[in-house]
Amino acid sequence: MTNWRSLLAKFRASANRRGAEEDAAREIASHLALIEEEYERRGLTREQARLAARRTLGGAEQAHQLHRDARVFLWLEQTLQDLRHACRALLRSPGFTLVAIATLALGVGVNTTLFTAYNAVALKPLPVADAGRVVRLERLFESRSSGDFQYAFSYPEYENLRDHESNFASTVATSWPIRLLVSPDGQRSSAPISAQGQLVSGNYFGGLGIGAAIGRVFGPDEDRAPGANPVAVLSHAFWQRQFHADPQAIGRILEINGFAFTIIGVTPASFTGTSLNPQVPDLWAPIAMQQQFVPGQYWLRTPTDFAFQVLARLQPGVAMRQAEAETDTLVRQFATSYTTRDRTLAVKLQATSFLGNTEDINFRAGMAGMMAVFFLVLLVACANVTNMLLARGAARQREISVRMALGASRMRVIRHLLTESVLLSLAGGAAGLGLAVAAGKLLWIAMNEILIRQQGADFVFSLNFSPDWRVLVYVFVLCLATGIIFGLSPALQITRRDLSSSLKDDTTSFGHGVSRSRLRSLLIGGQVAVSMLLLTSAGLLVRGLARSQHADPGFATRSVYLMRADFGDDPARASVSFHRMLDWLGRQPEVRDVGYGTAPMLGTWTPRIVIRHSGSVAGEVEGRTLASFASDHYLDSLGIPLLRGRNFTPQESAAGTPVAIISAATARQFWPGEDPIGKRFRLDLKFDGKLTEYSVIGIARDVRFANLTRIDPAHVYFPPDPAVDHPVLISLRGDPQSSLRTLWSGLRDYDPAVLPSIRLWNMETMVVSMQRTLSRSLAALAGILALLSLTLAGIGIYGVMAYVVSQRTREIGLRIALGATPARVVRSVAVEGLRPVLAGMAIGLAGGAAASLLLHSTLALPGSLDFLYGVRFYDPITFLAITSFLVLISIVASLVPSVRAVRVDPVQALRYE
Amino acid sequence: MKKTSIPILQGTLDLMILRTLATMGPQHAYGIAARLEQVSGDLLNLNQGTIYPALVRLEQYGWTKGSWERTESNREAKFYAITRAGEKALEDETGRWRQMSALVEKVLGEEPQS
Repeated sequence: MTNWRSLLAKFRASANRRGAEEDAAREIASHLALIEEEYERRGLTREQARLAARRTLGGAEQAHQLHRDARVFLWLEQTLQDLRHACRALLRSPGFTLVAIATLALGVGVNTTLFTAYNAVALKPLPVADAGRVVRLERLFESRSSGDFQYAFSYPEYENLRDHESNFASTVATSWPIRLLVSPDGQRSSAPISAQGQLVSGNYFGGLGIGAAIGRVFGPDEDRAPGANPVAVLSHAFWQRQFHADPQAIGRILEINGFAFTIIGVTPASFTGTSLNPQVPDLWAPIAMQQQFVPGQYWLRTPTDFAFQVLARLQPGVAMRQAEAETDTLVRQFATSYTTRDRTLAVKLQATSFLGNTEDINFRAGMAGMMAVFFLVLLVACANVTNMLLARGAARQREISVRMALGASRMRVIRHLLTESVLLSLAGGAAGLGLAVAAGKLLWIAMNEILIRQQGADFVFSLNFSPDWRVLVYVFVLCLATGIIFGLSPALQITRRDLSSSLKDDTTSFGHGVSRSRLRSLLIGGQVAVSMLLLTSAGLLVRGLARSQHADPGFATRSVYLMRADFGDDPARASVSFHRMLDWLGRQPEVRDVGYGTAPMLGTWTPRIVIRHSGSVAGEVEGRTLASFASDHYLDSLGIPLLRGRNFTPQESAAGTPVAIISAATARQFWPGEDPIGKRFRLDLKFDGKLTEYSVIGIARDVRFANLTRIDPAHVYFPPDPAVDHPVLISLRGDPQSSLRTLWSGLRDYDPAVLPSIRLWNMETMVVSMQRTLSRSLAALAGILALLSLTLAGIGIYGVMAYVVSQRTREIGLRIALGATPARVVRSVAVEGLRPVLAGMAIGLAGGAAASLLLHSTLALPGSLDFLYGVRFYDPITFLAITSFLVLISIVASLVPSVRAVRVDPVQALRYE
Repeated sequence: MKKTSIPILQGTLDLMILRTLATMGPQHAYGIAARLEQVSGDLLNLNQGTIYPALVRLEQYGWTKGSWERTESNREAKFYAITRAGEKALEDETGRWRQMSALVEKVLGEEPQS
């Protein structure tokens, strides 16, 4: 039974330890004196009385201990005591402590960095009020295509939702970042600068709960009449950069695309926007100002112009599922009022996170994979420290055994030892956290650099890699777990009940402690296995990078431009306009060739392919292949040569005739040993089970179309669907820069109606380079991983083996004294040391093979990434290199100390240590 | 002669100490222990030091209050006196003990079914 008084009294006793101790001692001394007095009264001598008194009391020290235990919070006292001892013990052996902390810091730091990145991307809430109640709308298309446009809705759709969705307290819309030319203060003398802004609904800031840092934000009625409210809100970063944080900027005029906007406010520094991409917008304007931002487009009234992201705040008490059902119905109902080529199958609500689509299964799988690998690194670090603790524990064996012989319970001693391990791991964790913070900063700088190079110098990276409470909790839990993991088995080992032999002088493994050395062999074996796994993964990845530097897409990229333009809403007129432009482009002297069709490396389309085959059971063979639309000039524009057969005729290209050109790999896969020209196959183009039949008319060379990492396993090209818009591919002659300038000036004069919507992307710098960056980042990752694994494995294996051998000094001395030759002794010791290493390597190899098989299975889809860039997963060079490294380390680790041991004078070795 | 000792339940030792203090007035640890030994006719065979957890507990609950006084032989000792809260607790605990022991007696005293 407890009551508040007793709790308070215990606190007081813990606080005033010295005073309480003195009081208790005084009381017990007085008790003793009184008993003595009584005995003397009964006739015993002074000396006899004293002894009898002690016996009656039951021992002064025991009484004192009983008093003490009842007086304070026992567990608290014991824990504090353990902590004090642990600190002292760790400080007494600084070498061991430093190495252990460094090892743990590496393992924990690496995991924390990864978690920080994951946190920044997927877990941290958006910088809006009550972010848990804000959701993003996502739609599922009939074509199952995935990407950013799954989050795109049109303004009429948004209005429909805003007015009819009862489960949302507020619905806001925001466009994607739009490139603008702005002149601060309307200074026509200086050149306009490039900036990017977003069009947002009037209730954007209000609905999200963002107030202005200075000035004010939009009100809902500033979004009503098109073009009526030329006002802009600046982001904090932009305001600092362009206006040098001048509070007088409010009310000034900012010229955007030639129109005068009034600056009405600046958002707080913490608001980094709500966009799906990690960029802080420079400014916001009401959607009503769309014509000024993007002339030539009619987003406000076009239901098929999917240009806005829609976010909503749920009504209090409404569950997401409920709102999702209603939203789905509303959007699909509205969709019946207009025609579109790709139907919406469903609308889902997603919790908001910094980057969109973090619930995507691929992202999650990739993340889980990376975390697993990094966790392995931590495990290796733990194994290292466990071994070190075991080694150190051997030295403390006597102390522990004496303690237990004196009556300490096993639990108490284990708790004491675990306190030491947890303290060590917390220290390692703190150091690891420091490492992770530094790494986070570096990562931020690196990502910022990469993105600036791609998107322009005004890019500000919006993700925040600094640790928040989630990261701290993660580190703490990780430390606790690792402390217990690596501390438990040495603790259990040292406190084994075999007290008699451990109390003796026997500190070597000479006929004693067999299970301890077995445990150590197991640890070495395990460590080698995990290191093997890590090293092989890292090694393969590094080899993959070496390959990727020379990865050639197979088609021309430097002088090829991707063009998209809007030719208007009327399909018939648009088609005429489109072909007229193609003709005009083809006639320009700087244009070598122009074709249209599917753009490379921008998403993959992998329909099912069915081929009639007499040899198989069902009479037909099935598979997956990449598919692309291709006009008659398409292959030529991309510079993909035709190996056999013929190209499409202009008539076939215009009519969409079902003929196809297949890649060489497709021919090899589906018609091995035959001539595919003239053969037929069927494709399930829309993933709805309906098959369209094509006949093969030509074979093209293999290229890397889907991504840079692998040559397309199968690819078919066929004439474009006349009802769909296609991107245009323009191949320029001569120097790309000057040809591009000439082309632009030509376009300016060509058709002013289409001009504003024309967008040109260079294949190399805009499309392919992103892939190269991906490979370079992966390689950097692999390099770090390899380095870490090497270091940890090297230290771990060397340290433990050296210690194990040094423990056998007595045995070696004895053997030499009995007449063995040094060579034989060294050889036998080295061989014994190698056994667990070899076992570990075998397990590691098996694990690596399993992992590679897993990786290999992901390559089944023609469009998926191959992280190894075609390096075979059983690559002999890598495996050989790593195996030799590990064997070498182990041999050296056992040779050096054993050679040293045989040199020692046997008499010395046998002597009492 | 071997003395058998009755193991003491934690709560009952508290009860006996409170009762002792209530009847004998303020006592020091030795006095309480000696009195318990005497009353039990040496059956209790307390290792006298084991009284301290109970004494500490009682003082922490506020059922006793300790103060340093001098004995008749002018030795200093910490005397424990029962407090008002202690008297109330004694009453409650005694009642509970009597209730429980009566119940146990009743069950034990039942005639075996023949």
